[in-house]
Amino acid sequence: MAATAKTILPEESELNVQELNVSWPVLQTASVYIGKACEWYNNEFMLCREEEGDPRRCLDEGKHVTACAMDVLKKMKKHCLEDFNAYMYCLERSSGTLDLNKCRKTQAALDDCVKNNMNIERPPFGYFCEAKVHNTSRPRPPPRDEPIIFPDPTPGLSQDVPREKAKYHNRFWYKS
Amino acid sequence: MDAAATSKRMQDLPPKGGYGPIQTERIKLRSILNAKSTWAIFFATQVVGFYAYYLNLKLVRRNQIEMRSARLAIWPALIAERDRAVLRQMRRNRDEEAELMKNVERWEVGTYYGEPIYFLDEENQFREPLFIEHFAHSDPSDYSTRSWRHLFT
Repeated sequence: MAATAKTILPEESELNVQELNVSWPVLQTASVYIGKACEWYNNEFMLCREEEGDPRRCLDEGKHVTACAMDVLKKMKKHCLEDFNAYMYCLERSSGTLDLNKCRKTQAALDDCVKNNMNIERPPFGYFCEAKVHNTSRPRPPPRDEPIIFPDPTPGLSQDVPREKAKYHNRFWYKS
Repeated sequence: MDAAATSKRMQDLPPKGGYGPIQTERIKLRSILNAKSTWAIFFATQVVGFYAYYLNLKLVRRNQIEMRSARLAIWPALIAERDRAVLRQMRRNRDEEAELMKNVERWEVGTYYGEPIYFLDEENQFREPLFIEHFAHSDPSDYSTRSWRHLFT
């Protein structure tokens, strides 16, 4: 199996945190607000995961991500539950894939509420598809896939070696 | 029968005054559109249709970007939860295997009688469990359900 006796795995108690116990419509409805409010934690976690290539070393970052998303959802429930439910109801009933373009009116109401009460502004169109530069204090791990360096490369000919004219011209008929 | 037998036999003859003239000239079909207007309509519908398609495609692409943006916003939270679930299950599988194979001589957990499954760069290197490794000790019906879901979604 993937884990041997020498593989260090975290204890279950280290992994037990409050998970996002909500369904997909809630996540989809709250997605951009969560993404905007937790942007730094999200970027930190994804960068860590990409750099380390090992989920065991990014557990703390992952916990921060979940905690931040949970916090946003709790605040949402406290301040904007009515608008949130209206928007979610609209998304669910308008399309099978929760398309965001169907419910602009309820979305505007929720945007307004979120901005006034939670101070989260809805990010512009396609914001999370853009490449981001992330500044972090976490030390950068050594690159995983270092290029192979061969110690004894074949020495090539120098540039000024005299070249004879080809005896039988070019091998390609269209160049001859 | 009597009438036929008694009356005089008559040969079939043309009607009085002869047959009418035979139509040999071509009669053209009534045409609504000539070639020029057909081509004109064809090109006009093509241009209008492709332009409308282009406009709609732009809209579809725009909606795709918006949906992808929303998905990417929530992605790290989903991945974080998934990582924890995988690590938890890895530990459970390892404990389960140790318990299951404790009476087998020379058995080492995570290997086949001491022969490693993977060539690792270091002992503690992380290998993502395969699907069948993740569900190795699960209920067969659960495994079946999840593999169907894995294959057909």
